[in-house]
Amino acid sequence: MSQNKIGSVLIVGAGIAGIQAALDLAESGYLVHLVEESSAIGGTMPMLDKTFPTNDCSMCILSPKLVECGRHLNVRTYTNSQVVKTEGEAGNFKVTIKQKARYIDLEKCTGCGACAEACPVKVDDEFNQGLGKRKAAFKQYSQAFPNAYGIDEKNCLYQTRGKAKGKDICLKCVKACQAGAIDHQMEDKEFEVEVGSMILNPGFKIFDASRLDYYGYGKIKSVITSLEFERLLSASGPFDGHLVRPFDQKEPQKIAWIQCVGSRNAKINNNYCSGVCCMYAIKEAVIAKEHSHIPVDTTIFYMDMRTPGKDFEKYYNNAKNNQGVNFIRSRVYEVTEAKDDSGDACIRYSTEDGKICEDQFDLVVLSVGLEPGDSSKELAQMLDLKVNKFGFAELEPLSGVNTSKAGVFAAGAFSGPRDIPETVMQASAAAGAASALLSDERGTLVSEKEYPPELDVVGDVIRTGVFICHCGVNIGGVVDVPSVVEYAKTLPTVAYATDKIYACSQDAQASIKALISEQKLNRIVVSSCSPRTHEPLFQETLKEAGLNAHLFDMANIRDQCSWVHMHEPEKATEKAKDLTKLAIVRASMQQPVQPIFMSMNHTALVIGGGVAGMTSAVSLADQGYEVHLVEKDNALGGVARRFSTGFRGEDMKAFVAGLIDQVSNHPNIKLHVGVGIKDVGGFLGNFTTTLENGEQLAHGVALLTIGGQEYKPKEYLYGQDDRVMTQIEMDEAIYNHDPKVDNAKNFVFIQCVGSRSDENPYCSRTCCTKSVKLALKVKKKNPGANVFVLYRDMRTYGYYEEDYEEARRIGIIFVRYSENAKPVLSKEADTLVVTVTDHVLDRPIEIEADLVCLAAAIKAPADGKKLSKWFKIPLNAEGFFLEAHMKLRPVDFSTDGVFMAGIAHSPKNMEEVVAQAKAAAGRAGVALSQDQVESAGLNAFVNKRKCTACGTCEAVCSAKAVTVDMVNRVAVVNDALCKGCGACASSCRCGAISLRGCTNEQIVEMLNSL
Amino acid sequence: MGEIQVETENKKYEPKIAAFLCNWCSYAGADLAGVGRIQYPATIRTIRVPCSGRINPLYVLKAMANGADGVLVSGCHPGDCHYISGNYVARRKFALIKSLLNHVGLEEDRISFSWVSAAEGGRFAEVVKGVTERVSALGPNNGIFKVVDGGAADE
Amino acid sequence: MNKIINDIRETARQLLAEGKVDVVIGYEKGSLPLKATPCFVHSSEGVDSLIWDETCENNLATYVAKTPGKKAIVAKGCDSRALAVLLQENQIVRDDLYIIGVSCHGVIDQRKIGAEVGEILEASISDGKISVKGMEGDKEYLFTEVKDATCQTCRYPNPVMEDLHIGDTIEVSQEAAAFADVEALESKSDSERQEYFKEQMSKCIRCYACRNACPLCYCQECFVDCNSPRWLTGGVNRAENLLFQAGRVMHLAGRCVDCGACSRACPQGVDIRALNRKMTKDVYVMYNHESGISEEGKPALNEYSANDPEQFLVKE
Repeated sequence: MSQNKIGSVLIVGAGIAGIQAALDLAESGYLVHLVEESSAIGGTMPMLDKTFPTNDCSMCILSPKLVECGRHLNVRTYTNSQVVKTEGEAGNFKVTIKQKARYIDLEKCTGCGACAEACPVKVDDEFNQGLGKRKAAFKQYSQAFPNAYGIDEKNCLYQTRGKAKGKDICLKCVKACQAGAIDHQMEDKEFEVEVGSMILNPGFKIFDASRLDYYGYGKIKSVITSLEFERLLSASGPFDGHLVRPFDQKEPQKIAWIQCVGSRNAKINNNYCSGVCCMYAIKEAVIAKEHSHIPVDTTIFYMDMRTPGKDFEKYYNNAKNNQGVNFIRSRVYEVTEAKDDSGDACIRYSTEDGKICEDQFDLVVLSVGLEPGDSSKELAQMLDLKVNKFGFAELEPLSGVNTSKAGVFAAGAFSGPRDIPETVMQASAAAGAASALLSDERGTLVSEKEYPPELDVVGDVIRTGVFICHCGVNIGGVVDVPSVVEYAKTLPTVAYATDKIYACSQDAQASIKALISEQKLNRIVVSSCSPRTHEPLFQETLKEAGLNAHLFDMANIRDQCSWVHMHEPEKATEKAKDLTKLAIVRASMQQPVQPIFMSMNHTALVIGGGVAGMTSAVSLADQGYEVHLVEKDNALGGVARRFSTGFRGEDMKAFVAGLIDQVSNHPNIKLHVGVGIKDVGGFLGNFTTTLENGEQLAHGVALLTIGGQEYKPKEYLYGQDDRVMTQIEMDEAIYNHDPKVDNAKNFVFIQCVGSRSDENPYCSRTCCTKSVKLALKVKKKNPGANVFVLYRDMRTYGYYEEDYEEARRIGIIFVRYSENAKPVLSKEADTLVVTVTDHVLDRPIEIEADLVCLAAAIKAPADGKKLSKWFKIPLNAEGFFLEAHMKLRPVDFSTDGVFMAGIAHSPKNMEEVVAQAKAAAGRAGVALSQDQVESAGLNAFVNKRKCTACGTCEAVCSAKAVTVDMVNRVAVVNDALCKGCGACASSCRCGAISLRGCTNEQIVEMLNSL
Repeated sequence: MGEIQVETENKKYEPKIAAFLCNWCSYAGADLAGVGRIQYPATIRTIRVPCSGRINPLYVLKAMANGADGVLVSGCHPGDCHYISGNYVARRKFALIKSLLNHVGLEEDRISFSWVSAAEGGRFAEVVKGVTERVSALGPNNGIFKVVDGGAADE
Repeated sequence: MNKIINDIRETARQLLAEGKVDVVIGYEKGSLPLKATPCFVHSSEGVDSLIWDETCENNLATYVAKTPGKKAIVAKGCDSRALAVLLQENQIVRDDLYIIGVSCHGVIDQRKIGAEVGEILEASISDGKISVKGMEGDKEYLFTEVKDATCQTCRYPNPVMEDLHIGDTIEVSQEAAAFADVEALESKSDSERQEYFKEQMSKCIRCYACRNACPLCYCQECFVDCNSPRWLTGGVNRAENLLFQAGRVMHLAGRCVDCGACSRACPQGVDIRALNRKMTKDVYVMYNHESGISEEGKPALNEYSANDPEQFLVKE
């Protein structure tokens, strides 16, 4: 490892993983170089319509992150770029980046789209999976960052025909662009950056379905991929979200999904499960039904329904039982074109009992699997990283994120198929790992902007400056901008009003700054485009001019006026005037808002000393923070102490011992073993936890890693016959050479004991793989043994599919049973007999068992409720911790400064526990790295005189930021926690609580001025 | 709206609709309609709020009392709220105020509520079109909230 | 002497004598016929003024928060429900409160009688019959004929919480709440309803007697009195009155215990309950919520369910 460490990190790939890792690192004091191959950040998520299992709109949840990442001072984003060379070692790498010419100057482009409108070249739109067209001058998608267009040199008329010959062919974009942003002479460039670490998340590509010709993809028009279907569903897709067949615009009434296209297929060497397709297919079927105004019949053809993630099983059950999605367990032979010229497709398949059937569908969606992308392979090769036989990066055992090269971490589908939360988790884990590696250099390369001292305007006569933007012809072409200026001049408080060709341009900014001081303006209104994209820019200008950034408002007279009323210039002008007036009213009533700072205690508390807790503790300690690790048991290690081997054959005993050694000897970790917690108080930055022994620990953040419990079966003679044991017990018995195992000849594994039941309506995720592993162990040790696995769906997701395949190959017998015909275990004399109905043979079979292993469910921790009360954190219906957002905040609680990892969040395997523990440590590290707890200040505030302490505000606050002080009988807002949503303010009958920047006074005055 | 407008014979009545849009979804959806150049009537006057949870039912009353011809309120779809549960908290208030005002004889279509996501530009335009059509069909807000002589005791 | 009144007095005497409470809030005979008034008894000498009959129409919960010290309160079903909401909203402390529960058969709607006999000069009640001497004539009524509208639909005649129950309890059929009165209005056309409420709102003089009688209108400053922002412009006219009444009903959404105090307090006879009842029905139908039926419950707007109905959305 280099002694000369550098406090910056290279991130390759700007999908959700890259964005998350970049934000985590930039927020914790590292400079980030974010390299993205395409012309915009975002990756795959913007293409998706909804996300499972919450049906959140994908774009809605992503776009705030895009903006945040794009604007971050310490994230340098390079689009159209690739890493071409790396040298050096962990702590100090030199990386050469090649950036292809965009032909549009990012500094000048305002994203107005005039170039695309003028561009005569139409080509297939990759973003829409070729289902729609785009121009050669294009932006990937409308919310893209950078909010700028680019020119596709392969299709541009000038670039392909004119440039080489020196002829001025086309160049319509140049004429159309009033900002002068287009530069066809731009050249590719190469440059070098120095970084201390690298995080690779180049994503995946979807399986090319035309490789399997029996599915008819590419030949039959009504056969499409699942990603194409996402674009059909998406409101921003080629058909504006109207669910139609792309080729004839017919609304499909009967849609089929075929699972495992390109996954679980040994013939094409894709013998892994892509893990996400079952859920996305169910989601697409449900959303299709929701979307269409005519009834839609949806059928999913599958082998095993794999829904092992958090709340996935409930989603599946809901689709099956309430939404009427059909599920057919089957093998699909082929898809052919219907003979009736309808354009439909026919699926020929065999059901489980061997019956051959055929059915016709309007649309057939292929649930394509995930494969390593081409650039992933190049990247792995260039860095000489270990890859597995499928081409995915191979991670170091039980490391969660470490590639085979020190200082280089992986996140997302680079190391195998992953869904969004797992990807985000890994990204935060990788960021945490990079942060731990470079902790000495934290803060050395980041910059902070300096501003002039703020002018005191309180009490001054309000002088509002109004700037109306033409946005080239975007606004000015429709709205009569000069008349809006004249109108603004007549309004109260307006001291100055003028127009700007591009209000966001450098020179306009300079002019606004100058006018603020010349005209003594103390409120600024800009009527231009969307505040969502441009408010921060103008606020920056205010700050540079010494004005508080909140003495400002914007009127959106482009996106929400000129662009949508193009043929009604008069009405658009009227509306622009009104919107400008509203902004002036709001701005004139705006008061300076100061960010609120609170002290930050830089110590972490980790509750629970199992693998998750110890991993988090070590990661945080390595990042340079003091850690208190509290374990109520008398020994560290948790349930993992009872495991012999991990899922990739790791020696668990050694692994746990190693972790215990690390936490015991780390100078930054203080252990509190054998002591529980009595009470918790405080909030982000300032928690105080009292232990049962009376000791008080002050800490800034808390990580809850309290594990779970093994279900104690009430069924299958468990506890009545010692030949019936749970998986953990059997693992121990094998390890201890228990004669019950060593002498057994007939083994029966029963899956889903206590899982997927009414009582525990979720899948425990790990048991299928665990049973296969145990079955393989006994079968390999004693090849003559008869080993049966009785299952409902084999959920050996990811690479565990290989184990499942091997198990079948070496003669382990898998018998499926259905939910309502569970196996029966009886005792005849001293013989254990398992009776199960085989679906293939369709008759009951009896197995004499020497040993029965029950895949007992993983249950939520018993202490969850206590912690829920102390930390004000929610639990889901089954008692597992409920994260702030299922997709994008998988280890954060909605309460700031509290994080989770491990089984207490949901059942998962050890590798996943480690990744999540590192993610929680990464996220906690971001919080701890702050000097102070800062809040923007657009918070709720209380008028004590009016407050009646009724507690309504407290009840509706999801951030738990408002509490009623019963001594003084008044509601109190915790500025560290308030998110500024205003639900309290609209619920308060007494008008005692209001929201800065959006007070009742402002809204009412705006309504009065309408 | 305090000004008295002289209506000419030829001028088609154009309603003015106060629109409360949440910042994270519906306002973004409205922006997206713009990016897609999806045309809709120029009838709404948008007030951007952080969250539909911020919308006090009194705003709806006040807008109607001030003479707005209609009110449109739009937030994130349930489950999409940037603040986790703002729209859930708001949803009950919205359902109740709408029902109450209809009960006192305010035409049902004067007040409209919808969930529009950041990805639903087209739908946003559809909502505005629909609301505008329905409010236009009702004509100016001269009902229960309007006192003809504009003040004092009663008409 | 009625046994209930006797028991109330004895209980009050004992509580005061033993120093368990500082004051007993109950009813005494009022200066107007058929109208008991709230009374505050601070010592055992005063207990004999306490009464209990069909004229005890005020909701005494209104006075609890404003009365300092430990207090006992004579509570009928609706008073106790208001107390429950006040407890949910931190307005009173359970330990400071001794609830003397009385089951209530309903109170008299004087307005109905007054409409027939003019100003009531004298009245007496015995055996469920009310004899009235009025300016415009005398009349005898059966109590059921002049029972207040509120009480006719009451599902909680027995206190929902109490420390002591006096008298018998009343059996209540466990049927779902009935809203025939609301449905009758709902079945009318928009314009008919509009006419009805225009008339009602025209009567309102914004004296705020309704607000003052309401046990749950306890804001330090009512939104109508607020200067910044000015929700109301200040004029008293139909539209402004509606803004007040509708705003007030919204503030009572999921809290109103349907005691009818507002309507009875109104000097102008505005049908305020028509608004409150509609709200109560909506909250009941949409959220299966009834206010103040237990100490532990929450006002309907303080909670939500992911499955709350959404019929109010636009069709697009």
